Amino acid sequence: MVVKSDDNKIICRCEEVSLGTIKDIVHHFHCSSREVKLRTRAGMGYCGGRICRTIIEKVVQDINNEKVSNESQLSYRPPIRPVTFGQLGGSENDDES
Amino acid sequence: MNSFDVVVIGAGIIGCSVAYHLSKTGYTVALVDKGDVASGTSSRCDAVALICDKKPGIDTEMGFTSIQLYKKLAKELSFDFEFSSRGSLYVCETDQELEIANNYVNEQAAAGYDMKMVDEKELLDIEPYLAKDLAGGIWTEVDSTMNPYLVCFAFVEEAKKYGLKLYSNHEVKAIKKRPDGSVEAVVTDKTTIHTKKIVNCAGVWAGKIGQLVGIDIPIKPRKGMVLVSEKTKPVVSQKVHEFGYMLSKFEDINYSRNVSKVVEENNIAFTIEPTEAGNFLLGGHRSFKGYDITSENRVMRGIAERALRFLPVLKDIACIRSYAGIRPWVVDHLPIVSDVEEVPGFYIASGHEGDGISMAPITGRMMTQLISNHETDFNIDRLKFSRYKKSSQII
Ligand SMILES: Cc1cc2nc3c(=O)[nH]c(=O)nc-3n(C[C@H](O)[C@H](O)[C@H](O)COP(=O)(O)OP(=O)(O)OC[C@H]3O[C@@H](n4cnc5c(N)ncnc54)[C@H](O)[C@@H]3O)c2cc1C
Ligand code: FES
Repeated sequence: MVVKSDDNKIICRCEEVSLGTIKDIVHHFHCSSREVKLRTRAGMGYCGGRICRTIIEKVVQDINNEKVSNESQLSYRPPIRPVTFGQLGGSENDDES
Repeated sequence: MNSFDVVVIGAGIIGCSVAYHLSKTGYTVALVDKGDVASGTSSRCDAVALICDKKPGIDTEMGFTSIQLYKKLAKELSFDFEFSSRGSLYVCETDQELEIANNYVNEQAAAGYDMKMVDEKELLDIEPYLAKDLAGGIWTEVDSTMNPYLVCFAFVEEAKKYGLKLYSNHEVKAIKKRPDGSVEAVVTDKTTIHTKKIVNCAGVWAGKIGQLVGIDIPIKPRKGMVLVSEKTKPVVSQKVHEFGYMLSKFEDINYSRNVSKVVEENNIAFTIEPTEAGNFLLGGHRSFKGYDITSENRVMRGIAERALRFLPVLKDIACIRSYAGIRPWVVDHLPIVSDVEEVPGFYIASGHEGDGISMAPITGRMMTQLISNHETDFNIDRLKFSRYKKSSQII
């Protein structure tokens, strides 16, 4: 369970979004974790939400007191870890896949 | 009993704009979406309102007016949607492209739109990281950018002040008609909403809503993938895209670029735009894959390859994420903003393909004028749904 004194804790390190900010948004808009992401950028950072995603889901679920529908949850998207455009688009890849 | 003057189906950027303009005019409005606000294409796209990529004529007129409306909205709405007019730059790879661009700019300039040709040197003054061997380009000062899903939120927040009722997580399952064929109610998986007027703003799903009243709306999903860069130095300061984008967008222009197989096959054309947060969005890609929005490896590689051609500096910059959206495509590339003769009280505002963000304000405005039986800002006969009945080979 989430307690008040934790509000300054940073949940999304990449985008520096605090627990308090996330809680405020959910209370105000009664929204899904996907909407929290769009409104705060939590989960949109360098790590692609791999550090913060599950905590965001949990906070949102606790406050809304119900299961957030599957469709609204945060999605997994490639690349699995950051990769340079040079590696991605370089000619050495031409014959793969 | 739930009863509203108008029920708007779909809370994407088009539905949100329509709902805002109707509410502000004084109608009682329900906005219904099967998910959250902006859960469809309007949160899976790029973020620019351009005139430089429109065909001369009604396309450009609507695009231009919409940018003016965005400027007003950015001041009027209390919710910030990150609007700015940064301009945009089209780059031409070859002298042949430059020549087509020149004709196009002359045509637009004759119609009063401010677009400028720039030569290879000016190109590098404007965007120093561009490849050194490009032929030139077009610079369009009015072209603007905003955050599309924040625009949706802004419209909804503002419309609520005028009484808008939002039904999120309500999937429309049926539409009831009266004996005379006019609309009577919208049935969702959770409730029934009575109304005499319905606006179908369901984007790529508009055809499915059309089926509920027995009409055939020929909108098809056209996929597009986007790559997101890490936050980095300003590799570009505005939307930059290859003129080939234009040429790949309109099937009627016959021009083929000298590109690799993966770029050719996947209909890839270089585009990049900065975001307010400091990341860059790279595209663009077009394909018909039904409702599939998974990320495709080959397409990601093709986009990266094409981007490196124009912006070699990207070589050491990281791609942190990819996503895909589906554009509501229609065969003649003009949206449907129209009543439907066969079903009194049923309206359509969908089919904006790659221009829905750009055209949202003007669409909301003109749909409100249609519903109020007022004259519309433009003659929109060409946007009528009935255009599809006349013949199957209009274009
Ligand atoms: C990669 C990409 C880049 C793009 N870049 C740009 C750009 O830079 N500039 C530009 O102007 N345009 C751009 N576009 C196009 C733009 O994104 C679309 O035209 C626009 O988002 C369409 O908005 P919409 O409101 O019509 O549809 P959507 O945003 O898809 O909204 C439709 C809504 O209807 C809802 N719905 C569907 N069925 C039902 C049902 N049965 N019951 C209830 N609700 C339902 C959906 O949940 C959805 O929220 C781009 C598109 C893509 C894919
Ligand atoms: S910690 Fe949230 S995106 Fe990395």
